[in-house]
Amino acid sequence: MYAFLIIVSFVSVFPLYWMVSAATNKSADVISGRLIPGTNFFENWKNLIAAQNIGRAFGNSFKYALILTFVSLVVSSLAGYGFEIFHDKAKDTLMSIILLAMMVPFVATMIPLFQMISKAGWLNTTIGFILPTISTPFLIMMFRQSARSFPHDIMEAARIDGLSEIRIFFQMFVPTMRSTYAAAMTITFMNAWNSYLWPKVIMTDATSQTMPMVVANLTEGYVTDYGMLMLAVLICTLPTAVVFFCLQKAFAEGITGAVK
Amino acid sequence: MSKSKKMTLSKKQNLMGWFFLLPGALLIFIMSFLPMFRALLLSFKSGVGANMKWCGISNYIRMFQDTVFVQSIKNTFLYLLIQVPIMLVFALILASILNNKDLKFKGLFRTMIFLPCATSLVAYAIIFRSLFANNGLINLIFVKLGILDQPYAFLTNTTSARIVIVIALLWRWTGYNMVFYLSGLQNIEYSVYEAAKIDGASAVQSFFKITVPLLKPTILLTAIMSTNGTLQLFDESVNLTNGGPANTSITMSHYIYDMSFKYVPNFGYSAAMSFLILILVAILAFLQMKVGDKRD
Amino acid sequence: MKRKILAALLASTMVLSLVGCGGGSSETPAAPAADSGAATEEAAPAADGGAAEEAAPAADAAAGGEETLTVWCWDPAFNLNAMYEAEKVYQKDHPNFKLDVIETPWDDIQTKLSTAAVSGDLSTLPDIFLMQDNAFQKNVIAFPDVCMDLTNSGIDYSQFAAGKTAYSVIDGKNYGVPFDNGAVVACYRTDVLEQAGLTIDDFTDITFDQYIENGKKVLDATGKPLISMQAGECDLIMMMLQSAGASLFNEDGTANIVNNETLKTVMETYKSLKDAGVLTEVNSWDEYVGDFVSGNVAGTINGCWIMASIQTAEDQKGNWAITNMPSLVGASGATNYSNNGGSSWAVTTKCANPDLACDFLAKTFAGSTELYDNILPSGALATWAPAGDSDAYGAPNDFFGGDAVSAKIVDFATKVPSNITGAYYYEARNAVATAITNYINGSDLATELQTAETTVNSYMQQ
Repeated sequence: MYAFLIIVSFVSVFPLYWMVSAATNKSADVISGRLIPGTNFFENWKNLIAAQNIGRAFGNSFKYALILTFVSLVVSSLAGYGFEIFHDKAKDTLMSIILLAMMVPFVATMIPLFQMISKAGWLNTTIGFILPTISTPFLIMMFRQSARSFPHDIMEAARIDGLSEIRIFFQMFVPTMRSTYAAAMTITFMNAWNSYLWPKVIMTDATSQTMPMVVANLTEGYVTDYGMLMLAVLICTLPTAVVFFCLQKAFAEGITGAVK
Repeated sequence: MSKSKKMTLSKKQNLMGWFFLLPGALLIFIMSFLPMFRALLLSFKSGVGANMKWCGISNYIRMFQDTVFVQSIKNTFLYLLIQVPIMLVFALILASILNNKDLKFKGLFRTMIFLPCATSLVAYAIIFRSLFANNGLINLIFVKLGILDQPYAFLTNTTSARIVIVIALLWRWTGYNMVFYLSGLQNIEYSVYEAAKIDGASAVQSFFKITVPLLKPTILLTAIMSTNGTLQLFDESVNLTNGGPANTSITMSHYIYDMSFKYVPNFGYSAAMSFLILILVAILAFLQMKVGDKRD
Repeated sequence: MKRKILAALLASTMVLSLVGCGGGSSETPAAPAADSGAATEEAAPAADGGAAEEAAPAADAAAGGEETLTVWCWDPAFNLNAMYEAEKVYQKDHPNFKLDVIETPWDDIQTKLSTAAVSGDLSTLPDIFLMQDNAFQKNVIAFPDVCMDLTNSGIDYSQFAAGKTAYSVIDGKNYGVPFDNGAVVACYRTDVLEQAGLTIDDFTDITFDQYIENGKKVLDATGKPLISMQAGECDLIMMMLQSAGASLFNEDGTANIVNNETLKTVMETYKSLKDAGVLTEVNSWDEYVGDFVSGNVAGTINGCWIMASIQTAEDQKGNWAITNMPSLVGASGATNYSNNGGSSWAVTTKCANPDLACDFLAKTFAGSTELYDNILPSGALATWAPAGDSDAYGAPNDFFGGDAVSAKIVDFATKVPSNITGAYYYEARNAVATAITNYINGSDLATELQTAETTVNSYMQQ
């Protein structure tokens, strides 16, 4: 079993190792497939800060991703909970309709969406970035599915004790579903961090550029400095990796006796 | 008296439900259905750039005569049929291994297996292209081991290009799906497994008898997501093979994107093709819901 | 109760969507009006009150206060650098002049441009942006309201290489100011050629037949192919085609594929290059660059901008030389010169101060040898004839064996035959790429060309 896990982990991590080692090599070495770390790390770092405003882009991405994750989790979990706990035929039907919303390729809805955001004057703003993805059918469905295992008898008991529905949600559901929240947080943060097509349409200012946009800038020249590019990509990967590492215990070793 | 009180209670609860789901549902209607509705109107128009005219259903007829689009439908379904089942089964197995209480270095393994999907797309594309290059690592190993006489151009031959795309997808998304299973498994009391073990059930038996049935809601969720993700597959086709050779690995979304932003744009036609994807995903999701979304 | 709520919800959505559509259709007639004056476009966001940011600098400029222009372009070392240098040159006479250059990759410019144009809201666009030459025809035809007609803007187009200017001329009107040079150069590793007993002279003014013959000698002596090309991208095909002045389209815009004798010659030549082992196909751009940087091939043929990538292989300094490309055998009008890539500046109709934008471009990219001298070190070569006479262009380049490569390329550029890009350039290119892939794998050339033409025609009949 360990052997299996080690092989899978190795396959998963190898390309990342390649990325890290490429970030320390010269461009010419990277494309000729050099696999061992080199000595060009500081050179790449210097070039990267000279070429792009990494700090600003990192800050922007972090701000957008954090705000979106928080708002989105609140709105979507409320909705998912509402759909499952108080389910009836109308709500089940509505859920199926809502699911349709994620099935159209974004390319198709992008232009009408741009019109709306642009008319509202929200180009180059955080609200413009987050608004279309605050409430996603996917997250709602995820919370709806997990609410299915939320024990009804405990809820009934709480109701008899006179707890309001809102307090049941915040004081009982939220702590119990820690693992679901942690997983949803990871996924939402990651999607927000990596989102590219939407910001590239609505962010027209240099000051509101995000990390993926900066990485794209680096690949567009006549000459690509692969060492520098890989360093930028590494910086772009780290936050998600860190967020995951911090949350993984929470979602994989979830319930700690809150409800038994 | 008591009967009418009960009625108001259930009415109140019903209202509560709507109150909970209203912000989310409203946002989806405004941010998704409104643009979708306008895209639907657009799909009945045709023309170059901003100059669009009503054209009835001719876009919907055109797409089935468009050989590249038909090819892209076939490609996409091929990926769907091969990749999604393998990935979900594999993710489920990994999740149940990693859920084992006695396993050491769990956190480390989990993070390593998840990391691929955290990797930025640019890096992942460059890495995969480099691995499968003519003088890349894979060719080097195959030639050294004597499996190949000379380097093979993986990305420029139809079958191998498609296989590389499937491998890349598996690499990138298995860990992602594993996360949902791991989180779903937390809702199963661990004592159930211990009891099964005492009763003499093997690991394989408890996997099929306990894990799979109890994870059904989560499996449904990931199945719908992966189906949707694969039918909208874009990144891999663009970045790994650029749809080639001769459009044999191009996906539907890739073609729609080209139609909108690379070719002389006909946004009406793009919208029509997008709605075909919607219909296809909706049918598949409906079937999956029918099978998987029963409350026992 | 629940029925009522659901009904109310549905009703409100329908109202919303109707409002949405109403907004959409009332907007459509506004879009063509953009031509009549940027004022309409400026007024819209101002009335909204939201996008005050956009409106404010425009109003200022109109009032004659600050002279600021917004520019979108990509590649800091190359295009952005050129814009900053141009800003410095222009500031000498216009101390209040300022540029706000926003780095935006070409793909993003295209996406933003299309989105804004289809939405009918051009307020998000900059004053000036850089456009790929191959996309120029398409964008002007698809979005006629976006680019300003620069024919009578005071820019002297006669001083630009004719083949280059042709990319941004639509219906006899100039929509762009030509910028960087894409003249094709053939680059070779002289040390590798030497091992086969050849020199750069054996590759100058030759035909593809001679190229293949020389290539076989190099292959025998060193085991290295002369060139690698990215499979599925038909860069070399397009370069060969233009070297004989041929195009994939006729003057009237119809596809010219099936009855295009030059295209047939090109396809056959490409196949014989590959069959002889002189050309090897690779999977991706990274691999293509990697091949010559790490010495897997003896050279390459591409737009002169490729030399910047070649020069990243510092250890090969002095071992490279450039010359003109081989010519096609049996094609009428065959030359040793062609073009690949390059871009031109466009001015948007949204620009609140078009006179300033035109004057800026006329005095810099179409009127300043100083500018072209200043940007030469970055590798940006002019297509503006007077720049080529400058001393800076005669300076030797040690990487390329002390050759005066800049002057050589400017000379090449003047000899490039012009061709017709066509609005449906990318569609045709993809169709031809499919044809060549299948042809190399053994299918019949005539059938493949027929399929390609049918495909291209189906795009045009929309």
